[in-house]
Amino acid sequence: MGMKIDMEAAEVAANLVVAQGRSRWGGTGLTMEVQHHAGGRFKRPYIRIDCPRQHWLAVAKWLRFDAGVDHCSMITGIHWPEGPDERRWEVVIHLMRMNVIDPPERGNWVEQVVRDASILQEEDVPLEFEVSICLPDTRTPSVPSVQQVWVGADWNEKETWDLVGIDFDGHVGMRRVLLPHDSPVGYHPLQKQHKLRYHDFEEMYDDAQGFQRKPVDAGKIK
Amino acid sequence: MAEMWISMGPQHPMTHGLWTLRVKVDGETVIDTEPDLGYIHRAVEKIAELRDFTKFTTYCDRLCYASANTWSHAYIYAVENLLEVEVPERAEYIRLVAVEIQRIASHLMWLGAYCPDVGNLTAFVWCLREREMMLDLLQELGGSRLHYNFPRVGGVKRDLPIGFAQRCRTKINLFLNRIQEYEALLDESTVFLVRTQGVGYAKPEEMVNHGVTGPNVRAGGINYDVRWAHPYSVYDEVDWEPSVEKPSIKGADCYDRYRVRVEEMQQSGRMVLDALDKMPGGADTHHQHGDEAILAKAPLRAPEGTSGFHHFEDSRGESMFYIVGGGEQRGKFPYRNSIRSPMFITIPYASKCMIGYKVADIPAIMGSFDPCIGETDR
Repeated sequence: MGMKIDMEAAEVAANLVVAQGRSRWGGTGLTMEVQHHAGGRFKRPYIRIDCPRQHWLAVAKWLRFDAGVDHCSMITGIHWPEGPDERRWEVVIHLMRMNVIDPPERGNWVEQVVRDASILQEEDVPLEFEVSICLPDTRTPSVPSVQQVWVGADWNEKETWDLVGIDFDGHVGMRRVLLPHDSPVGYHPLQKQHKLRYHDFEEMYDDAQGFQRKPVDAGKIK
Repeated sequence: MAEMWISMGPQHPMTHGLWTLRVKVDGETVIDTEPDLGYIHRAVEKIAELRDFTKFTTYCDRLCYASANTWSHAYIYAVENLLEVEVPERAEYIRLVAVEIQRIASHLMWLGAYCPDVGNLTAFVWCLREREMMLDLLQELGGSRLHYNFPRVGGVKRDLPIGFAQRCRTKINLFLNRIQEYEALLDESTVFLVRTQGVGYAKPEEMVNHGVTGPNVRAGGINYDVRWAHPYSVYDEVDWEPSVEKPSIKGADCYDRYRVRVEEMQQSGRMVLDALDKMPGGADTHHQHGDEAILAKAPLRAPEGTSGFHHFEDSRGESMFYIVGGGEQRGKFPYRNSIRSPMFITIPYASKCMIGYKVADIPAIMGSFDPCIGETDR
């Protein structure tokens, strides 16, 4: 039979982390709760954190060194030009607690870390985290960089700045990664003012062949 | 000796795609590296904002040409979390069969591309011969050879074709026998061993902190796998265990990364055989297109304020989609569709991994991490 972690143990472990987090971060405006994936067979729990911008670096260090979150899976940004005032930009960070350690050494060789997934309890259970940081309306959105906490955040932050335009304070070596190096300053294509439409025209649906396509100044010049 | 920067790429056999590795060398020794990506960036995340959820599956297939099925499945699982869809169990089994056959095909493509890098052209031909069998099986399922567009929101496109189970068992069994030939070919080849053993050490803890996942971490002696740690599908019901290597004290070298993939192919093969045996309703029954045994009803729109994500064990590591609902046309399109590519994070680490080795080791180290530029650049 294949293996999987015990869902009840995952539930207990997630609640444990949330209880610790609430006692540590109570009164700072940070909210932490256990949520569940809506689809699939298992409805796995994950931990959702809404973090104020100014506490993010401290929270990240707490997650890394106290809660054992050792893997930064993805950092991404969302532009909400028509959102509520306190959420015009949002940075979403997905983290995982993988509990990976270097295997113990035995002479010249190391011992494999073979874990029986079904008996993992509390601190050993792998968990998923989703952190959301909302920013108010600004032309220069930025959040603290966690490059020093998880090295894996480095290229995620580069990509978020490159595509969405959210800057990361304290990030060393920020540069374009997916767009050309000579892209115009301030050009970040995933911001919502950049449209995929051709002259406000849904060519993919309305005119896939392009027969009706007209230049934007059609009828105005002779 | 004078230090200098060399550009390897964008056209270089080492790159396995289109990207540049800038290498700073001191004589023959690599002392610094800097990857430069983005040559085939095609704005898939932006395109997703104007496609409804079903139409975007084809784009996910094209994220990685060597492992198309795993990418479209990763996307579909995230959409199902967003739209709160329950999948019939038979469909989950069919998906597992499709994904694991694709994993074998992807690893074979990797092995076939890697062995010429380290001086063994025979393995290339042999791997592509076996990959052809896997592509035939996937063609029966999805209808095409490379980009299958197989999963649907709530199930799969088609049931297993009549007679598929028998042909699949024959081919997988043949493949499991032939894999012993690879071991004879590669594990006893002095050239292969000299090029891969003791080269490109990577420690598991360091890899995880750098964001590296999947077979590369399991090569370091850790049985961490998304398939059991964040379970989805029916991996708890079929017979398998993660393939784990036994590295040296310095960490996992290129040889360990080769071994773990060979073992993973065997695990995947056995998983497919077991899933065919345990298939609910039997592997030989064939339901009509759209039957509720293989396709559940799913809503078309995701209202504003919803989001869904899913971690998925891709052939190259942990891939992930994060989808925010409530886009244009009253939620028919996603507001934001964000993709985590395992190789986008792994390539910077692999580049740092080769510091201290010779220039001639660069292809061996880089290739052993299994780079795929289609998903890296998105």
